Amino acid sequence: MQPPSQPIATILQGAAESPRRRFLARLAGIGVLAAAPRLAFGGKGAPGGNRFVLVVLRGGMDGLGAAPAIGDPDFAAARGPLAQFRAPALPIDPTFALHPDLVELHAMLVRGEATLVHAVGLAYRERSHFDAQQVLESGASRPYELASGWLGRALAASGEKGIALETSVPLVLRGQAAVDTWAPSFLPDPSADLVARLERMYAGDAELATALGRARRLHLDAPAAAAPMTAASPMAGAPAARPGAFAALAGKAAEFLAQPSGPQAAVLELGGWDTHANQANPNGALANALRQLDAGLAALRNGLVAAGAWQRTVVVVASEFGREVAVNGTLGTDHGSGGAAFVLGGAVRGGVVADWPGLARARRFEGRDLRATTDLRAVLKGVLGDHLRLTSKVLERDVFPGSESVRPLALLGA
Amino acid sequence: MTSSASLQAAIAAHRFGLGEPDLSVVGSDARGWLAAQIGAADPARGDGLLDTRRALEHVAAEREKRELARNPPPGTTALQILAGHYRAVNIADARSRLATAAATRRPFAERLHWFWANHFTVSLVKGSTRGLTGAFERDAIRPHIAGRFETLLFAATTHPAMLRYLDNTQSAGPHSRVVAFESRRAARRQEPARVTGINENLAREVLELHTLGAEAARAGVYSQADVTAFAAVLSGWRVGQDAGWKDGEPFEPNWHEPGTKTLLGRTYGEGPQALHAVLRDLASHPATAHLLASKLARHFVADEPPPSLVGRLASVYLQSGGELAPVYRALLASDAAWQAPAAKLKTPEEFVVSTARLLGAGERMFERADVVNPAAAIGALGQRMLAAPSPAGWSDRADDWLGPDAVWKRVEWATRMAARAGRTIDARRLAEQSLGPLLGAETARQLERAADAPQALALLLLAPEFQRR
Repeated sequence: MQPPSQPIATILQGAAESPRRRFLARLAGIGVLAAAPRLAFGGKGAPGGNRFVLVVLRGGMDGLGAAPAIGDPDFAAARGPLAQFRAPALPIDPTFALHPDLVELHAMLVRGEATLVHAVGLAYRERSHFDAQQVLESGASRPYELASGWLGRALAASGEKGIALETSVPLVLRGQAAVDTWAPSFLPDPSADLVARLERMYAGDAELATALGRARRLHLDAPAAAAPMTAASPMAGAPAARPGAFAALAGKAAEFLAQPSGPQAAVLELGGWDTHANQANPNGALANALRQLDAGLAALRNGLVAAGAWQRTVVVVASEFGREVAVNGTLGTDHGSGGAAFVLGGAVRGGVVADWPGLARARRFEGRDLRATTDLRAVLKGVLGDHLRLTSKVLERDVFPGSESVRPLALLGA
Repeated sequence: MTSSASLQAAIAAHRFGLGEPDLSVVGSDARGWLAAQIGAADPARGDGLLDTRRALEHVAAEREKRELARNPPPGTTALQILAGHYRAVNIADARSRLATAAATRRPFAERLHWFWANHFTVSLVKGSTRGLTGAFERDAIRPHIAGRFETLLFAATTHPAMLRYLDNTQSAGPHSRVVAFESRRAARRQEPARVTGINENLAREVLELHTLGAEAARAGVYSQADVTAFAAVLSGWRVGQDAGWKDGEPFEPNWHEPGTKTLLGRTYGEGPQALHAVLRDLASHPATAHLLASKLARHFVADEPPPSLVGRLASVYLQSGGELAPVYRALLASDAAWQAPAAKLKTPEEFVVSTARLLGAGERMFERADVVNPAAAIGALGQRMLAAPSPAGWSDRADDWLGPDAVWKRVEWATRMAARAGRTIDARRLAEQSLGPLLGAETARQLERAADAPQALALLLLAPEFQRR
């Protein structure tokens, strides 16, 4: 993953011709977009169909910390001490850059395998983590409108299964679809005999029976897939990640997705984004979370590349909201609505998609937050439609009801 | 015992308690057995437990290590340097929590303690709480679970662990003396000021999670302006990194925002008394009554509790002026609380502790750290001890504990546990004594047919009648 030998500026040329330009900055002089390599995608002839990964960043990732708008004329003044990083930010184009701890993600952006979607947010504009996560995962317009998850409903529509790399099923995967969960264990599997007896005992308890049946199929019927992670992980040559660490779970997700009859979608979670204090500290919470995210995305990509599945995989990285533009009283940031998201994969167009609202106080939502000018559902509808082949009827009736006015973004293909 | 009395005893033991190996301890008056337990929680059992003052001294003694952690030597991380210092404290705290629950003769009070500790979550997920979470439970929660909610709310909100967990220690009034001082110093040194104003984290979560509730926010009961005003009231309530414990309230006037504040339409004066007044008003708010009633009913009765029960508990709370004991008595008096089917799934911690009680292992099970290390097991089952993922605490809904992997790990752990303990136990007899009339025919049949004694015990631990309550 070497940085390109050619200067970034060269790569950026040609971006101006892109049809994506219409999403781009209203501010004069903001160029956008790395040129995406022309890549075929799709499952035709490939073992296994298209794959989708959702990475949920819990706690509210600071979009302007992860992807600073260094070229915005108001950036330095608006961010104050948070405009400084331990090392220069990694440039994407004249306006946007990545935090210096997102080295691997930056390499993907440079290769045209990642898209930064900025000033993105939910229809929900309040500042509660819990309500915002409910909206992010349910896919509704308001908290508690829907009790199942948009990805669960999407999988139910396509008849495919999903997996969460954790012990329980997150809301986003709840619904009618078949969903496995997996997390590393330090105990041996129980005997098939005991499991068979348990299944008889659970005949009158549908919930326990379903959960046990799914786990049994994953562990006993296909034992290799669920085996504990070994040194021969996709991250060959890299130091083995601690079991349960985000990078290890991401590598494991790649293994599941690469199986020909594996799940169509995987969900990973990473917490630690609620950075109310000391956000610029090089060893602080934000830097630590970004490094974990970066290592995890690299592990996911490496595993999928090794299995030949990266070209047919799209990864969306999103958080429940962003944070206020200005620093708070403790060198951190408080909850705010707009933030940043990333779309990765061998088949994405790459570059930056942002209808950039600017950072001046008058341009902010309620004078505080980065204004969310792109509805996250536009990103998700685009990916689910173009990549998982869901029709707009299914997307608007089942997956994101009430989203008729949210037009899907075209993020894939050359 | 009559059959209805023995059913009541079984429900009392499992739904409201932590399980009993023999229902005879409940006796014939199940409601009376539970009601007699209402009161402050048992003192925590265990050695090496620090009270809040000593826990803060322990934290302060780490100044040198923290200096080192600011610039970790190559090959180490700040986390590694600091973790060692708190290891013994964390182990003692986790073990004490389990041992106390495993040994108590007042399991209903212990469940209430767990409930409130989860309501007022302080979590080791955030480094700023390190060394303080056990002291928080022992000093801020245990003594106050059956008094006035206002007293519990004040103790939890102003405990150093909470002030640090939700960043209030770093929050300063924008017009406070410390901000003026810091800005002069920063200008002199030509660097950004370290403290410039409010951090509203604690204010938001007290309103949203501890008192009025998110539903109230959605209904417009309070707004962002109320959060900001409450944060100004809270400014100055802090325990600095090296300050240790000062006698009296942890309030530093130099950090407090001067002037009056208006919150929910009422005006509060400057100074520490304002927090007492605000918390008193929040505690007596109908939205708070509704939130607490809903959560209690959800915890003990059903994921979606009957609205009539919630309404009854909320009105008892308001009529009693925010006393908690009458609310608990109203819960026990409600027929709905006894008639609901056993649909609640035990959390991993409830499962492991009720296993210890079932096996008569009591607190002994938690004294050794061996293969079946209970604290590690609870973590592997998805509930890392004293480390809830967010200030909202652990979920109280079955769905959140029913993931295939979560159920599989219960099977793995029960198998290992039964292999160690099962040889000397007759699981069939234990099932009858512990579950009484709750034991279903299919489970009894599977226990009868088990291949050997350990397998029978594993089946008992994993039976729906033992997993649910």
